[in-house]
Amino acid sequence: MNAVPGAAMVATTALAALVVLLLLAVAGEHARRNRQVARELARRARLTPLVHDLLDGEPIDGDDALDPLLDEMVLDLLPQLRGSDRDTLTALLLERGVVDRATEELGHRAAWRRGRAVTLLGNAASPRHTPLLAELLGDPVADVRCAAARALGKTGDPAAIGPLLSALVADRPVTAGVVGMAVLDIGTPALPELRRALGAPSTVVQQMAATVLGLHGDPLASHALTTTVADPAAVPELRCAAAEALGRIGMPSATATLCAVLDAGRRPALQRAAATALGRICDPAGLDALVVGLGSPDRDVRATCAEALTASGPAGRRRLAARDSGTDATPAPRPREAQAAR
Amino acid sequence: MTRERAVEWVSPLLTAVNWTVLGYVVVLDLAMLLLVVTGARRLVANRRWTGAQGLDQVFASPLTPAVSILVPAHDEEAGILDMLSAALSQRYPAYEVIVVDDGSTDRTFELMAEKYQLAPVTARPTATTQVDGAVLSVHRAGTGDPLTVVRKVSVGRRSDALNAAINLARHPLICMIDADSLLEPEGLLKVARAFVEDPVNVVGAGGSIRPANGALTDRGAVIEPRLSPRWTVRIQAVEYLRSFLLSRTSWAQADAMLIISGAFGMFRRDLVVEVGGLDPLSLAEDAELVVTLQEYLRREGRPHKMVFVPETVCWTEVPETWAVLGKQRRRWSQGLAQLLWKNKRMIGNPRYGAIGVLAMPFYLVFELLGPVVELVGLLSVVVSAALGILDLGTAAVMVGFALAVGTLLAVTVVAVEEFVFHRYRRGRELAALLAAGILENVGFRQVHSWFRLRGLAAALMRREPVWTAMPRTGFTTAEPDALAPSR
Repeated sequence: MNAVPGAAMVATTALAALVVLLLLAVAGEHARRNRQVARELARRARLTPLVHDLLDGEPIDGDDALDPLLDEMVLDLLPQLRGSDRDTLTALLLERGVVDRATEELGHRAAWRRGRAVTLLGNAASPRHTPLLAELLGDPVADVRCAAARALGKTGDPAAIGPLLSALVADRPVTAGVVGMAVLDIGTPALPELRRALGAPSTVVQQMAATVLGLHGDPLASHALTTTVADPAAVPELRCAAAEALGRIGMPSATATLCAVLDAGRRPALQRAAATALGRICDPAGLDALVVGLGSPDRDVRATCAEALTASGPAGRRRLAARDSGTDATPAPRPREAQAAR
Repeated sequence: MTRERAVEWVSPLLTAVNWTVLGYVVVLDLAMLLLVVTGARRLVANRRWTGAQGLDQVFASPLTPAVSILVPAHDEEAGILDMLSAALSQRYPAYEVIVVDDGSTDRTFELMAEKYQLAPVTARPTATTQVDGAVLSVHRAGTGDPLTVVRKVSVGRRSDALNAAINLARHPLICMIDADSLLEPEGLLKVARAFVEDPVNVVGAGGSIRPANGALTDRGAVIEPRLSPRWTVRIQAVEYLRSFLLSRTSWAQADAMLIISGAFGMFRRDLVVEVGGLDPLSLAEDAELVVTLQEYLRREGRPHKMVFVPETVCWTEVPETWAVLGKQRRRWSQGLAQLLWKNKRMIGNPRYGAIGVLAMPFYLVFELLGPVVELVGLLSVVVSAALGILDLGTAAVMVGFALAVGTLLAVTVVAVEEFVFHRYRRGRELAALLAAGILENVGFRQVHSWFRLRGLAAALMRREPVWTAMPRTGFTTAEPDALAPSR
């Protein structure tokens, strides 16, 4: 065992040296960071009036105009601006070569450098970069793929819809939430492409299209969505998404289909989605189905039907009260949830 | 048998025990160092992405699910209003706060009623998880704040209060926080981001916890993190950095999150209801919920991703005295023993992935049994010395080596804090943190082991789980001129 204490002594000395080095590094870093923070605060205070001048369309010059921090401040500000202010700052970034440098960084080895470049191009919001950004939807690093999706959303370019939806089912997929937010960011120009996507071969893509069309309240999608809800061969999650979308769109033409789904009583999740949709549509023709739904064996379906009746306006609330007091002619039991939901 | 014969017989055994215990301590510290370094790498990578995570999009998106913040409160008059100020100032599109006043005997309810003009309403349950203490009344804020307060009879268990809150939660996500905790303004948004971006797979997420004792606050917002003058708190600050920040970052990377702290954790409500809410008998109900969800979802072959968001901080009050710290750590140890015993089939079971093969064995060997090994080691050294078979020189060298590894671990943790976050702006705070990290190995660690050992003993003797409330001191309010310049 004599060799062991000797080795331990050497190791202890090495560890102690490492501890001392770390302590010195921490002290040095602390001083450096404090100085850096103070300097940056002072620089920002100096540069802020220059940014205001830029927004007013006034030329800037002097040493401060060359400060790279000015580019960062403009980039921080860009997502909060719209219209001519945004155009002014985007043009400035182009002029100062910031956008070109970011484009070169798209192929950088470090994932975070690619990600930051992608974010910058997204903030620049130019459709010129759509193909480059779309390529990065297949990046090996998930964070870069997500950043590319977000950036494509910010470009507002409907040409990005196809690559974004494809990214949902790619070998290296982008998560549904990120794609959803990006597609929503593109806005109403995305609607024609989304309507077409309702007929896509992938259920995941169809589901995303249905959800976003519903959030946009697109009446032109109503027919296709109604067909999907009524299709017993469709995947249940897709039918739920379509039912929710119909509720958001609010067209009474969907009432009959939604009532049929609610009455069928086979899938509680789908029934709940149909009941919520009927509550949103507020069509008097849907009230009977909702009152019948109050007698569903599933507790959550009963509660959702009660909520939907409450949301259906005075007529719905009257039916709920009548069911409560036993004067409603529609045969259904009176669950406690219906009373509580009022 | 003569004394010499006895010494001759026992000497190899004691020597073997001494070396084994020393090896155990070194391996434990090296394992922690590995976790810390892995976690630090992730934090450095995350830092580079600052500003590119799309938080504004998450905030503005209609796809972002609403959150119910659930707060169990028992005798929390010292900090309840600060906690509510922080919770109700969240930058988040849609949320509600449900406080369960769990049989408070102080002015917890009166303070809330006065500030938020609480008015009684009819309870409208959305779930039926088990609640043993009777719900007395439900109140809603008359000030327009999305606040619901439930008064219930306490049965002395945090899980009971949380289940009462779950039964009234209306939103798809639930976020549990402690009543002595302050959530940062974007805390909810940063943690919910994981659910928004990956709604299919993510089922739970947690943020990091830091001690709020000594920090300067203003209406629930931490203006400047500072360290308490008490060394027990300072040492816990280092401990929280190591265990609640860096280790969990590493475990999450390995898809082996065993604990999402009860002080700040977010879950999908439907799944929590599906598993019956929180275990009413567990003393580690937060870890119990994570393990239950993992076990259930993995068994069913459903998505089970747990995420840790290290950049999100929830500031919480930690024990300031040894007595209170002892009670807390005994409870944690007893709760861990309960948890591992209840889920023993998962330990080492590859069916449960990295949780079964990595996290649970680690917690069993190093967290639960650690104090036993350390006690055996201490006894063995004492007996060896008494019998005259301890080579003091060798012992000193080996203890020095173990201390050096422990010190390196503590200093590395503080270095990561400084290089990545730089939260403590004053030099003296940083110096105190470093000193606390070094002192942790001498005294604190041994007393801590004693507390844990007693917790383990309580679990082995199957003592009735008792959730003891911690005395609160409240938060330090910042005076206008209190923010000293950084040095």
